[in-house]
Amino acid sequence: MPHDVTMPQLGMAQDAGKIVSWLKSPGEAVSKGDALFEVETDKATMEVEAQADGFLTGVSAGEGEDVPVGAVIARISDSAEDDASAPPPAQAEDGTDDAADELPEGHAVTMPQLGMAQDSGVLVSWQKSPGDAVSADDVLFEVETDKSTMEVEAGREGFLAATLAEAGEEVPVGEAVAIISAEAPDMPLSRSRGSATAVAEPTARAPEAKTEEVPQEKPRMAPKPAPGPSGRILASPKARRLALEQGLDLARLVDAGYDQPFHASDIETLKSLPDAAPATGVTSTSRRLIAETTADGLPDFAAWCAERHGLTDADALLAGLAASSLPTPGPVTIERRGVSRTFDAPATRCLGSVAETETAAVLTLRDLRGSRLRSVEMGGEDTPVITLTSGDTGLTLTLECTPAQLDAPGALHLLTEFAGRVEQPLRHLL
Amino acid sequence: MREITLSQAVNEALAEEMRRDETVFILGEDVAEAGTPFKVLSGLVEEFGTDRVLDTPISEPGFVGLAVGAAMTGARPVVDLMFGDFLYLVMDQLCNQAAKQHYMSGGKLSVPMVLRTNLGATRRSAAQHSQSLQALVAHIPGLKVALPSSAYEAKGLMKTAIRDNNPVVIFEDKLMYQDKAPVPEEEYLIPFGEANVKREGKDITLIATSSMVQVAEKAAETLAKEGIEAEIIDPRTIVPLDEKTLLDSVKKTSRAIVIDEGHQSYGVTAEIASRLNEKAFYHLDAPVLRMGAMDVPVPFSPALEDITVPTPEGVVENARKLCAGELIHAA
Repeated sequence: MPHDVTMPQLGMAQDAGKIVSWLKSPGEAVSKGDALFEVETDKATMEVEAQADGFLTGVSAGEGEDVPVGAVIARISDSAEDDASAPPPAQAEDGTDDAADELPEGHAVTMPQLGMAQDSGVLVSWQKSPGDAVSADDVLFEVETDKSTMEVEAGREGFLAATLAEAGEEVPVGEAVAIISAEAPDMPLSRSRGSATAVAEPTARAPEAKTEEVPQEKPRMAPKPAPGPSGRILASPKARRLALEQGLDLARLVDAGYDQPFHASDIETLKSLPDAAPATGVTSTSRRLIAETTADGLPDFAAWCAERHGLTDADALLAGLAASSLPTPGPVTIERRGVSRTFDAPATRCLGSVAETETAAVLTLRDLRGSRLRSVEMGGEDTPVITLTSGDTGLTLTLECTPAQLDAPGALHLLTEFAGRVEQPLRHLL
Repeated sequence: MREITLSQAVNEALAEEMRRDETVFILGEDVAEAGTPFKVLSGLVEEFGTDRVLDTPISEPGFVGLAVGAAMTGARPVVDLMFGDFLYLVMDQLCNQAAKQHYMSGGKLSVPMVLRTNLGATRRSAAQHSQSLQALVAHIPGLKVALPSSAYEAKGLMKTAIRDNNPVVIFEDKLMYQDKAPVPEEEYLIPFGEANVKREGKDITLIATSSMVQVAEKAAETLAKEGIEAEIIDPRTIVPLDEKTLLDSVKKTSRAIVIDEGHQSYGVTAEIASRLNEKAFYHLDAPVLRMGAMDVPVPFSPALEDITVPTPEGVVENARKLCAGELIHAA
């Protein structure tokens, strides 16, 4: 059976090639793999090999002639006498021919040959939609072969008039995958190969479809587009480590509108965001707020109260200050070195009326002043807990609670008020 | 404590070691009668004679090869290579012979040799007499490399180098020969592989070699006025390198700039920065920056020469950026 010899497509945007010289004479015996002719494009000159054994016959294009891609220029026949000559190259029309009656007019973009032994490629994805305007270097679709994935460009300016395969479909090398029209299409066509065998026939006739002898020009590999700048949060390794260790989510800083990149110092900001919910707490939804006071005003205040007002129970005073800081005052437990005392404070905030009670507390004050502990993270407990630890000059107050115990404004109010009273207890009297 | 110049410190170290050990001798161009172009060796020939202070012909491969052989057979030569730039001439003697004898002889031979040479630009000596080639030598396994940053280091490191049983290359900054520093009268040695924390700080670590320590110190003073406390570390020897001190500092400050006068690309700064990245990555709050000489031949033009090497102003600018959390070299 005679085998057509066609002008190969050596580059994506190549329409024609010039025959530099024939390396075999008409009638000469050729073996598969023999160099048949030399072709020159605007990019390269290369030898094209015979794809079958036989005899070179029907040579219809001479040396120096420009031949459209896909045009039949000779045959490899079973005998040297086969005189069924190939149609002259002029008859091989360019891309507009694959406008079969049901396909829009335009230039066919074909499945490229990316490797020597490749006979088909899988369409990975479309980067343009039917009807889209495209320019020559716009990426049209992505193709995967057994060796690589590459992007295929439109090759010319126009409109994507038809897509002839769907993502995931395998398309033989040289077959039309898309049609680029000069005019905006009225009704852009979108087809899968599976659903329209009728398409296969006209496209098989398309000149580009017959690039059987495409030699190994390395395709231009377009780099994959870099992931968008918004995809990854920019943060220093240290900031990431601190966030990870403390169960904090850097995305919350992004949501809160802070500028990237984030550094270790931003972790403090992250922790102080209103409803920061460390994921590593005892319960995943516990709240933890930290306040630092510049001074511990409690000892002086207790001494003043004892001297001027005869209020000698420092714990009762502390409970009174804390209870008054609650959105709604209630019993407060003071816990120190394993001893707990619960006090009820009147709504009048009068510290002289604070008295011990058996009623269940709504707030626990854990006094760790004087211990070596500087920071605690215990998670939610039965009541909200404020832990007092000594800081450099003042106190560190850590409030931990569950959202059910205190909502975000309530927690902020409690800790802010209490920290203010600890720093300057006379505030309580205001 | 008395203050002496770096030049005097080196001279003292050599004299002390030559008195202590009669196998120590000096050889090189103009070392005896002229006392080297920088007058470092003045007076030595008078005390030790021309048998132990040898003027050689102008043939660096010749006299370095002589020193390697002498070291292999029991002497402790101190070779004077007049300019660091002449290292190119002695690469085979140094890198193929001296560096590898101990290994290739299965430990039977050792090469207790010191190669004294210099580095440093801004002396208007042009491109062939201004290079800082410590990276070339540090790249070769089997060679130790010391970079004294003051007279104190110059003396202590030189004495350690002479007593070391391996080939050691010491680079003195040719602009520092007249710089004075406190140096004890009594004998002392500075062990190799022990970095010196020149200044403590908590915000950024400046790792600087040789005269770049002075650059870092000037930068740190400016930064201190802006509230940035820079810690300065002088590795003193880059082979062996005291990684622990460097890493401890960077873990504390979480930022670092590495400063060395060699060309920046593929240089000492690159090596140290890379180790910090590998071993302190999760403590870094900013990329580790390298500051070396520009990747150009050192210009003769004074105006140009001065800007090809790291300057205090440049260090300050980079430190400010790192501490402010600016996005550095973001893709």
